[in-house]
Amino acid sequence: MKVSTAILTSALCLGFALPGAANRVFVSNEKGNDVTVLDSDTLEVIGTYPVGARPRGITISPDGKELYVCASDDDLVRVFNPETMEETHTLPSGPDPELFVLHPSGNPLYIANEDDNLVTVVDTQTHKVLAEIPVGVEPEGMGVSPDGKVVINTSETTNMAHFIDSESFEIFANVLVDSRPRFAQFNDAGTKLYVSSEIGGTVSVIDPETQQIVKKISFEIPGVLPEAIQPVGVRVTGDGSKVFVALGPANRVAVIDGETDEVQDYLLVGQRVWQMAFTPDEKYLFTTNGNSNDVSVIDVAALKVVKSLPVGQQPWGVVVAPN
Amino acid sequence: MRYLVLALCVAATGVAGAAQAESGTDPDWPCVQRKQPHLSLGQMWSGPEPDEAVGELARTPKIAALADRLEQRRLPLEEAEAEIAEFAKTADDRQLTALMVAIFDRVEPHRAALIAGIARYGHKQVDLAQRIDAHRQKMEQLQQAEAPDFDAVDAQEEQLDWDMRIFQDRQQALTYVCETPVILEQRVFALARAIAAGLE
Repeated sequence: MKVSTAILTSALCLGFALPGAANRVFVSNEKGNDVTVLDSDTLEVIGTYPVGARPRGITISPDGKELYVCASDDDLVRVFNPETMEETHTLPSGPDPELFVLHPSGNPLYIANEDDNLVTVVDTQTHKVLAEIPVGVEPEGMGVSPDGKVVINTSETTNMAHFIDSESFEIFANVLVDSRPRFAQFNDAGTKLYVSSEIGGTVSVIDPETQQIVKKISFEIPGVLPEAIQPVGVRVTGDGSKVFVALGPANRVAVIDGETDEVQDYLLVGQRVWQMAFTPDEKYLFTTNGNSNDVSVIDVAALKVVKSLPVGQQPWGVVVAPN
Repeated sequence: MRYLVLALCVAATGVAGAAQAESGTDPDWPCVQRKQPHLSLGQMWSGPEPDEAVGELARTPKIAALADRLEQRRLPLEEAEAEIAEFAKTADDRQLTALMVAIFDRVEPHRAALIAGIARYGHKQVDLAQRIDAHRQKMEQLQQAEAPDFDAVDAQEEQLDWDMRIFQDRQQALTYVCETPVILEQRVFALARAIAAGLE
């Protein structure tokens, strides 16, 4: 009896683990004050969980054990167990945390504080603030190089990408980009840094080695007024061949050739597309659509939108569990 | 009382300041949402690009009447989607595109008028904040007089109370006012999706 129970249990566990290709997808709903959890395989909603006031930036530890949420109006980062969605602890963040980035090793966390022109560095193990780095006015976008040596912060009003040494916490270079830089993303090889400018309507491609802009990507969509094209989220495939840029109220995601930096296609997703995240196998790219209150699922190989999933109120950020 | 006025004025300029930062440079826009003066068809439509003939088709009685009905917000979205699905059974891509154009041509002027109304609303709030400030200064002057005219002080205070009450009420309504263009956009986008689903 015991043996059969054991077999049954392990079979059950196997059965549970088998759709192992399935990853949990976490979507922060800015207005709903909750996180919607999706299944990346069945593309269905698993559940919705309260996470504090005005959740925006969201990320997960490399081991998939801690989910971090910027609770902007609570002025802290809330940490959850991604399996149970129970809050385990909070991290100090400084006021109004909007966006953050985790060091590739999982520690520390770099948080942009829009109101007091700082980047706060927090140790995810000891939960202590390691440093507060003064940057430009209204810091917003955060990026980290694949080797973890360089942290990028973009400041909305100063219109700069600040290059920060992750050891000394000192800024060693500033690159002037177009108006209101929103997001910074390296390719995995660390050879290109993409910085989106929401009002400027461009993406600057920067050589991280020389900190020079090598190309400015602009966007034109037939039948769309230029002011509606507001680049925000950026994601690059692991091989660097394709770059996806969320264009805000243009309701499109631009697909860019990672070699030539030329726009290849525009995909119509939902309203006010904001942030994006790949599944680990890069089969799908999920986009948050803040005004249509849904998530679009893009088939990365086919470059087609395969599904729209209704989530909570004003979806903002998205992250996919690594395992 | 004085501190409340001060706080309100700070809040008012704070709101205006944030909006300015949010939208770039436009002082006519008191909302946190980024100002988008006009919608464009391509924001919601990736079907065939409409040409002049499709524009003509959009003005034909059958399509115009359907667009009139679908645009009304009192028609629940599910019913609108059902009507579109019914229309799509016999309509070709040109007719579907024409229906999209007809809906867009109805919603866009409506929305543009709303945006202009919000600018007027914002200006009125700025004017009111200035008036509140003037009342406050006047009251201070009256109180500092060697022999204060308490009747005049009371009259000022009453004016101040009224203006502040109106200001606060309007400020609270602003959240809703600012969301109306978004509600229109959501509807036209949902209709566009339903129409696009019927394309060949």
